[in-house]
Amino acid sequence: MRAALPALAACLAAVGPARAQPTEEAVQATFLPKFARYAAWPSGRQPAGGTPFQLCVIGRDPFGRLLDAAAAAEQIDGHGVQVRRLPDERGAAACHLAFVQGRQAADTGRLLLALRGQPILTITDARAGPQRGMIHFTNLSGRVRFFINEAEAAQRGLSISSRLLALAAGVTQRR
Amino acid sequence: MKRRRLVPCLIGGVAAAFCAAPARAQAPMPAPVSEPDDLSGLSIEDLAQLMVRSASKRDEPLSAAPTSLFVLTHGDIVDAAATSLPEVLRLAPNLGVQQITAHDYAITARGSNGIAASNKLLVLVDGRSIYSTLHSGVFWDTQTPFLEDIEQIEVISGPGGTLYGPNAVNGVISIVSRDARDTQGGLIRAAAGAYEQDVGARYGFALGGGNAMRIYGHAFNRGNLPANGGATDDDGYRGWQAGFRADLGDATDQITLQGDIFDNEVDTRPEDGNRGHNLLARWSHAFDADRALRVQAYYDDYRRRFSLVSDSLQTMDLDVQYNARFGAHDLVFGGGVRTTRDAVINNQNPLQLDPPRRRLWVYNAFVQDRVRLSDSLSLIGGLKVEETSFTGIELLPNLRLAWQPNERHLLWAAVSRAVRTPSRVDRQLQSPGMLLPGDDFVSETLIAFEAGYRGQPTARTTLSVSVFYNLYDDLRTFEYADGVGLPIQLRNGLEGHSWGVEAGSSTQLMPWWRLNLGLATLFKDFREKPGHVDLSFKDAAGHDPEVQLFARSALDLTDRLRINAGLRFIGRIGGTNPVGSYVEADAAITYRLTERLDVYASGLNLLHAAHLESSDAGTAQLAQRSLQLGARVRF
Repeated sequence: MRAALPALAACLAAVGPARAQPTEEAVQATFLPKFARYAAWPSGRQPAGGTPFQLCVIGRDPFGRLLDAAAAAEQIDGHGVQVRRLPDERGAAACHLAFVQGRQAADTGRLLLALRGQPILTITDARAGPQRGMIHFTNLSGRVRFFINEAEAAQRGLSISSRLLALAAGVTQRR
Repeated sequence: MKRRRLVPCLIGGVAAAFCAAPARAQAPMPAPVSEPDDLSGLSIEDLAQLMVRSASKRDEPLSAAPTSLFVLTHGDIVDAAATSLPEVLRLAPNLGVQQITAHDYAITARGSNGIAASNKLLVLVDGRSIYSTLHSGVFWDTQTPFLEDIEQIEVISGPGGTLYGPNAVNGVISIVSRDARDTQGGLIRAAAGAYEQDVGARYGFALGGGNAMRIYGHAFNRGNLPANGGATDDDGYRGWQAGFRADLGDATDQITLQGDIFDNEVDTRPEDGNRGHNLLARWSHAFDADRALRVQAYYDDYRRRFSLVSDSLQTMDLDVQYNARFGAHDLVFGGGVRTTRDAVINNQNPLQLDPPRRRLWVYNAFVQDRVRLSDSLSLIGGLKVEETSFTGIELLPNLRLAWQPNERHLLWAAVSRAVRTPSRVDRQLQSPGMLLPGDDFVSETLIAFEAGYRGQPTARTTLSVSVFYNLYDDLRTFEYADGVGLPIQLRNGLEGHSWGVEAGSSTQLMPWWRLNLGLATLFKDFREKPGHVDLSFKDAAGHDPEVQLFARSALDLTDRLRINAGLRFIGRIGGTNPVGSYVEADAAITYRLTERLDVYASGLNLLHAAHLESSDAGTAQLAQRSLQLGARVRF
């Protein structure tokens, strides 16, 4: 085995890393704080002057410091974006945005239902299961895209800008 | 350029990794994963145009299911060289896959492989059971899905536990197709080689209100496989399959409607081939965060013609499942009823089913509770009650313990009882003077003891290891009815045990290189019970290798070039018709010519012009090398 390691190392050197393509996580993590820019909350729920948007990761966190870095770089009309990580829906009332992912697909569904009725922009990832938040990440032709459920967002008093809607792979429109 | 040095290098690297695998958990990685560039300066429009590296397994949530489970993802399936569902299943190290003819395979988990013996597997396609009530096996040539539309394939080795349907004795294969909302737009794939050609297309579109639908169709042609010594079987195979899937609803109510239709022919005799169709509806309703109901119904109809035998089967099935969570309990209960009507006309030989047409019923009810004993420890107890037209009530209990100290590690242990209830052949196949019907044939039983680990021992490695000890009783034997001469009768004269280890790992060695390793061993000891003499030489125990080893490498060499290659070692199959051990390889090289167009070259069974996989001397042909050039267009 020891003898094999140099061979392996030589092998790696022969190839060299492919040009750094971002991971799906890195792109999703960059999108998340930006969503705050393209959504509007009911008047009572907009962050007060100088206070940040609260971006919650509920359940599993697939992003780690990718998300912290992306959130730190975001300034939206004088509001920063603060990342909070929550094990479950408890304490989520203060979240403006929530990326929701359970340990298993069914758990994601439970978390989403527990958040139902609150003005929180919920976001999910198709790779974790079919359960969908208002924004549902998917991979189309090697790119990170998303579906938007505008109708559900509207029911909770959230409005989503047409610029974001225009990027969506599909939109569930308000009736 | 670099590629010329790469090939010998990779072979060495794969071999080295095999040796190094057990020690890798402690060994430092050769080089750090490079961090992606800062993306936050990009606009959302730019972000949406960025090509992303395919996701690695390490980022997937660890399934908390305390079973021996391997998941083949959409990416695994599309990137591999496999051109058919059985070839895709070779990616799961816990399955034994033997190609028999151009159209037929024998597939099992944990042994009992062979044309007749591989009858202890439950295979589901989007919740629709596809094993045949004729002989409890799967006719793989009636399953020709469009591979690009598969979301994932879960392969469970061992009894499926409470929540899966009948026949989940040695394992469960659950094939799940993609949500129609995730397959919008068009896709055309065409591939051709000397042995095999395939063309298919899918188009997905929005139905409004967040609902979506897709339609697909594909056609294929496969040539004759080389004969195994004797006369050629003329097993060339061609056909088509088409279908649709619609997904409707919101977070509270989800409705799926789907259906397929297929027709194919085999060259062996005129009119040989299969055709069929199916239709499925599933409704899931969430009452609140803790209570959900799922109702599913399907209809499936197929007809097979082979060698002057005609076999048709219509199935109707209704399943209801209710989930409730309260306190420390996660409760699931439900039930189902399935009825089948078959017709088997045999003009080839005197063996007949009596009656030739028969309606059968299977009823089942189940309850399972997952109790959290502490933050990390859960106990799962389940009981299924099953009754069929041929048996009384069968009790199928299972008990599982799962210890998950954190998100990265899961240790589990389980004991379960499973049965294969008698098939039509077991009970009602007969031939005057030669074969008496097996009126007293009862269920074959298994008590399985299992334990395993699944987790991420390092940030870049996922690992799954399980061990099992299977105790079988009442397996099928062919015996002289009066002990000395014809007629023969099918009886439950075999007992025995088997044990083994299954392991699979996936390591992201480099951001652009993933290496998967797999291992399955199987040892068995079967004997005739006192007073029984088996004329089939313990066929029910199966024809299995003791060892299978797998290595698979996925390389993203540049933004555009991806190479996926696999190597498998399948040990010798002993018995009256031994099959030698073999090493085989497959590879697919995909080049992204433009954003919408991929071209690829792929090959199966690269190392030999032809090799034998099945010990079924009368039927088995040689699996052969198959090369293809193909293209995939998205619009």
